[in-house]
Amino acid sequence: MTPAIYELTAVQVRFGSRVALDIDTLTIRPGCLHVLIGPNGSGKSTLLAVLAFLREPDRGRIMFYGSSVNWSGKELGRLRKKATLLHQESYLFSGTVMANVGFGLRMRGVDREETRRSVKHFLALVGMAGFEERDATALSGGEARRVALARALACRPEVLLLDEPLTHVDQESGAIVENLIASQSQAGTTIVMASHDDQIEKRLPCMIIRLNAGRTPRHEPAP
Amino acid sequence: MLSAADARLKLSTTTSTQDAGILDVLLPPFEKKCNCQVNVIAVGTGKALKLGEAGDVDVVLVHARSLEDQFVAAGFGVNRRDVMYNDFVIIGPPDDPAHIRGVMTAADALKRIAAAQAPFISRGDESGTHQKEMELWRSGGLDPQGRWYRSVGRGMGETIIMATEVRGYTISDRGTYIKFKQGKTDLKILFEHEAGLFNPYGVIAINPKKFPWVRYDLAMQFIDFLTGTEGQALIAGYRVGGEPVFFVYGRK
Amino acid sequence: MGFLAESLRKAVLLIVSGSPDVLSAVWTSLLISANSILLASLLGIPAGMCIGVGEFPLKRVLLTLLNSLMAMPTVVIGLLVYSVISRRGVLGSWNLLFTPTGMILGLTLLALPIVANYSLSAVKGADPRIVPTALTLGATRFQSLFQLTREVRFGILAAIIAGFGRVISEVGAAMMLGGNIRGYTRTMTTAIALETEKGEFAYGLALGIILMGVALGINALLTFVQEKRRS
Repeated sequence: MTPAIYELTAVQVRFGSRVALDIDTLTIRPGCLHVLIGPNGSGKSTLLAVLAFLREPDRGRIMFYGSSVNWSGKELGRLRKKATLLHQESYLFSGTVMANVGFGLRMRGVDREETRRSVKHFLALVGMAGFEERDATALSGGEARRVALARALACRPEVLLLDEPLTHVDQESGAIVENLIASQSQAGTTIVMASHDDQIEKRLPCMIIRLNAGRTPRHEPAP
Repeated sequence: MLSAADARLKLSTTTSTQDAGILDVLLPPFEKKCNCQVNVIAVGTGKALKLGEAGDVDVVLVHARSLEDQFVAAGFGVNRRDVMYNDFVIIGPPDDPAHIRGVMTAADALKRIAAAQAPFISRGDESGTHQKEMELWRSGGLDPQGRWYRSVGRGMGETIIMATEVRGYTISDRGTYIKFKQGKTDLKILFEHEAGLFNPYGVIAINPKKFPWVRYDLAMQFIDFLTGTEGQALIAGYRVGGEPVFFVYGRK
Repeated sequence: MGFLAESLRKAVLLIVSGSPDVLSAVWTSLLISANSILLASLLGIPAGMCIGVGEFPLKRVLLTLLNSLMAMPTVVIGLLVYSVISRRGVLGSWNLLFTPTGMILGLTLLALPIVANYSLSAVKGADPRIVPTALTLGATRFQSLFQLTREVRFGILAAIIAGFGRVISEVGAAMMLGGNIRGYTRTMTTAIALETEKGEFAYGLALGIILMGVALGINALLTFVQEKRRS
């Protein structure tokens, strides 16, 4: 059994008095495509935020690569660079597509030339070559989704967290995104993807995590 | 722009003194002589002295003798000297509705104004002029009350403007009145030349013993200049609209 | 109508003749306002943003305090600063009273709540996804706040413009702290007050017209910069 990337134990997240997430145990395995399935409000986004180290749980412990996560201080910045989250409705910064896609690279200290090259590469991957100088706030829904994905991929994270990447997207963009997810998974990136499309079970994952009212009744390996 | 090395003499005086324009003829030659900059802070009499009491200025030039004496007695100022004088006048509309022309004393003039309930604008700001006004009401045994008596808390200039607007009376120092006669007011002098309307100006250095940081040296140079031949000549020669505004004491 | 016409005529004459008193007053106004708004921005923008973004127990208290400070009459601020920088005050030995520096101190305090409040609004109205997005892409806390500033920069600029309007038009505190000393601490506004007191209404209005021209010019410039960035 390969060592887990994440191990969550007794993790609980509250918003005021409402319990949004209540997990006994959860394991995320390396190189595996995990799909979070559950109705709206079942805690998928919250779980992804926790895995992205954006939301500290009110209770519980998280092991990441075998070490316990310390939620204060410099550690966290380092951890966040390893797991990148793509929000359901992504926010693109004001400025060019180039500036957006290159954001993560700049944060990691990559020089200008290298950033340019990488941005071009990832834009091509999502089928948006030539969009570098376009205004990021003036894109269509599908275009924006793809740019956001390129932006996340450009960070070359070890863990890719996707919140409903295929929902409300035109067919062409949807197909591109789906293919990219598949190829990333094949290349060995660990992916945790939230979806409420039951059909996806048939196509992609190696692990399905069902969430209901913040809880995980059972882990299922994919059929 | 001033540098830290420049000598700066801080002088507090009254707005009417500054408005009379006398400082514009006195300061440039003085600044040349002492090789310094005089910063003039023109406020009401009370405030001018209060600045001295705090040591925020180096020398004061005001016209409120009793307050000046108290100031020196309390140890805030030293070396008080007479500089110049002028007088107060009672001004009012040319048609003189209260009939004050021809009365014998200033107090009588005010009595008539009160009797006629003619509009009277008081500076109401504890200035030298205001103090003089209150003195005169008191000497006539009057305590002015009523809508006709308006205490406005403003400088001399604005007070004259107001009196002009409402066609009323007021007490003014001669200097400011002469300035305003040039086109800003049509009020006329209806009473003048009484000993009680005497308005002497005094200059006082701030006590260096009490406030070690004051530029006592510059202050004394200033006082010497004002009371010396050159300063006195400038004061005596100062004209507004061809009329003298300030008078110097005869010196031998 | 004669008043206005005469004032306009005087204003043109003043500008054209390059009267040293007027030039000095304009320069002093700009110098003092620029320094004040600079300081107020350096302090107020981060303060407002932190209060807006942060979650801490005293947040409500600070918000209320900030709102109240905006309603503070300028005379009160002037008095407070005066009592501190007068020779009798705590900072008396710094010799700030009746200097441009003293004025800058007071005016900075005046502009500070405005800049902070507007900045706070800017971040409160900002998209809540900005910071998490920056963080997940690898930004540090500091970098993500910097990105937030960039995203709300128009709101921040509005804060600066509002604060600038406040300080360039200030009379009471400027008079009290500066002493209206000719050629040194006499600003456009205190000069206008002086001329009005002397009954020189046309001259005062002329100065007022020049002041409005300066304020208009600066605001137009700032707006132009805003628009340019947008497109």
